[in-house]
Amino acid sequence: MTDEKKPDLPLKGIRVIDVATIIAAPYCAAILGEFGADVLKVEHPIGGDACRRFGTPTNRGDTLTWLSEARNKKSVTIDLHRPEGVELFKGLTAQTDIICENFRPGTLEKWGLGWDVLREVNPGLIMLRVSGYGQTGPYASRPGFARIAHAVGGIAYLSGMPKGTPVTPGSTTLGDYMSGLYGAVGVLMALRYKEKTGKGQYIDTALYESVFRCTEELAPAYAMFGEIRERHGPHIESACPYGHFPTRDGGWVAIACTTDKLFARLAKAMDRPELASTSLYGLQSERLDNRGDVNEIVRDWCGSLTRDEVLERCNKWHAPAGPLNNIRDIFANRQFHARRNMVSIDEENVGETVIVPNIVPRLSETPGRIDHLGPTLGEHTDEVLKDVLGMSPAQITELREKRVI
Amino acid sequence: MQSDTPDKEKPRKPAKKTAPEPPPNAESPADAEDKAWFEEQKLPLAGVRVIDVGTFLAGPYTASMLGEFGAEVLKVEHPIAGDPMRRFGTQTKRHDATLAWLSEARNKKSVTIDLRQAQGVDLFTRLIKKADVLVENFRPGIMEEWGLGWDVLKKANPKLVMLRVSAYGQTGPYRQRTGFSHIAHAVGGLSYLCGFPGETPVVPGTAPLGDYISSLYGAIGVMLALRHAESTGQGQVIDVGIYESVFRQMDELAAAYGLFGKIREREGAGSFVAVPHGHFRTKDEKWVAIACTTDKMFERLTEVMERPEMASHTLYGEQRKRLKARDEVNAIVTEWTSSLTRKELMDKCLKGQVPIGRLNNIEDIFNDEHFQARGNLVSMEEPGMGPVVIPGVVPTLSETPGRITNLGPALGNATYEIMRELLGLSADEIARFRKQKII
Repeated sequence: MTDEKKPDLPLKGIRVIDVATIIAAPYCAAILGEFGADVLKVEHPIGGDACRRFGTPTNRGDTLTWLSEARNKKSVTIDLHRPEGVELFKGLTAQTDIICENFRPGTLEKWGLGWDVLREVNPGLIMLRVSGYGQTGPYASRPGFARIAHAVGGIAYLSGMPKGTPVTPGSTTLGDYMSGLYGAVGVLMALRYKEKTGKGQYIDTALYESVFRCTEELAPAYAMFGEIRERHGPHIESACPYGHFPTRDGGWVAIACTTDKLFARLAKAMDRPELASTSLYGLQSERLDNRGDVNEIVRDWCGSLTRDEVLERCNKWHAPAGPLNNIRDIFANRQFHARRNMVSIDEENVGETVIVPNIVPRLSETPGRIDHLGPTLGEHTDEVLKDVLGMSPAQITELREKRVI
Repeated sequence: MQSDTPDKEKPRKPAKKTAPEPPPNAESPADAEDKAWFEEQKLPLAGVRVIDVGTFLAGPYTASMLGEFGAEVLKVEHPIAGDPMRRFGTQTKRHDATLAWLSEARNKKSVTIDLRQAQGVDLFTRLIKKADVLVENFRPGIMEEWGLGWDVLKKANPKLVMLRVSAYGQTGPYRQRTGFSHIAHAVGGLSYLCGFPGETPVVPGTAPLGDYISSLYGAIGVMLALRHAESTGQGQVIDVGIYESVFRQMDELAAAYGLFGKIREREGAGSFVAVPHGHFRTKDEKWVAIACTTDKMFERLTEVMERPEMASHTLYGEQRKRLKARDEVNAIVTEWTSSLTRKELMDKCLKGQVPIGRLNNIEDIFNDEHFQARGNLVSMEEPGMGPVVIPGVVPTLSETPGRITNLGPALGNATYEIMRELLGLSADEIARFRKQKII
């Protein structure tokens, strides 16, 4: 590596086919694209990926979710219901490193594009398969979405007021993103193994298990003590004060005193250091036994100040507190701007400035890139068929006339 | 104390100077040997050594994942206190371990070093010279205070990949603030959306969700940086804020505010994108999730409900109309679900291909045949405690599935082994360091 030149992105030269829909496996492909991979989004010639219609539409027709999450991808239309389309897809498979898909298990097999077929076409292939319930087990063929995965995986049950209606855990697409992340971890593991041994493999991940994996000791505590965790509203069972508290100006703050030391800092911020004495509420066990009283004291204090005043005092004493931001608060938050967590992108074919979340994680030497927003349907079909499959303009025209592409 | 050489005599296949160029295929004899060794290991991170000096979960879970896929993970802890994660959650018969620790420190080896002592810093630096990846999650500036900032570590090991997870990241005005996942959910915009409209925002399911999510980003960063380091010899830092990991999950929240000034509010059990799409109560006081994201799925639901007329275009056949009549539609569905037991409801909906799932509590999960079939619950034997059931490895790889070799280790269980074999300390030195509480 010579000094001046910026290093290549870590996935330069890697080609990914994203034949998936909405967010789960496509988000994996988006991350790979941010870090240098060439991502070909294979879509049905009519309508394309349903993500183009998921969320708020723009003047161009495609939704904001599409513009943001199909970032960096090239759109190639192929009808996989047609034998010619299947052949084209095999051709692309031979020229690719990674495929991301999230059809209901059995769908690709029905089209003659199962793992056995694709592996024969390309023995080093890595294939990410995301589905509601995974490729195996009794529920494999059931339809599944993140909403259902949150329920099956156990986090919906834990969201909401005690005994009240369980609520959406913040966002209905959370499980999709989390599965995309697990998928990306799996793909990068498999890529490493392939580059050392030449051997490909597939990664089988399920929306519900991505969610379930993030429930810390929920399972061990049930297995050992029969403890069934319930909803605790804005609080949790194991620490106090821990929760969301309203402020005088109608805002909310989150406070999380997981240890005695942190509570002592909060007591100082509240100008009531005596609360942290061991004879009072200095110990977590005492605070948990007197949960109602402690929460009330904190609630009264928060309610007597504006949100900014609460946070200013907490920050001064390093007490763990933060604002419950809505999206307007986020746009006004200095940390988001200093970290460039949002980027404005203006593209002629969108005709509007679109603000999208920037890349996570941040790598010091090889930061990712956002070259462009989600492409228009079929924007790159000709380019890819010509450059990757070496097809002539006449062949491409013929395929288009037959509506294969 | 003997002086160190930066070469790595790892108890395993020695690392080569550079990894094969991607895409590899030309084989030299050394490549062939390497390849055979790798094939035998069947783990993508065989031969990689990770130092995890983090606490709790945000970052340490990255190290756990790397360990599941073959890396050797050394958990560096304070000699007396250890990782506070050992005291987080439900206490077990083992005085140094909660259930959360046993599960999430899986596969790790514990090495005690006091980084507040100069000799501890020296030992740590020597360990870094023999590592590929370092994971930390102190408040920004703490490692620097100890003389273990990136500039120092990079000098010790130019190929090092360093993952730094913190509440707000390494830069920006809030970087020094104290923060945990709970606060990151709030700052990142997730908590505001969790709960009923106009009511108290609630915890989005589980308190450490953001710790897991930031660790997933960390793992992706480490894998990318490792690839770069092996092909160029250049290490780097991965800087992850928990709040931004949470914010990155928020689909079009930012774009819709940026373009239309739309502020999304709490939506209770529902969602702004579709109706009926939420949680519904059953006759036997249980809950299910139903998600009719498209008109076709709603049509299937109405057939199962034996109310096919509801799917007509003049009524609720189009998503647009259902979104406008959200309360009406949800009331009709609720009335129907309340007339059936969860079992009856599930059977009918599954037969009619309606997207439905049980809203499981942990007891339901243990009784769920699919969790059993997928190996999502793994039972590990812990001496003196009996079986400990923990979540299995996610994701599942067909050729190189991950593994769980051990539960969270006892404090310092590998200190002697590592000091002796990896750093080449004498038994006397080790005894002296122990006495001085450096290790």
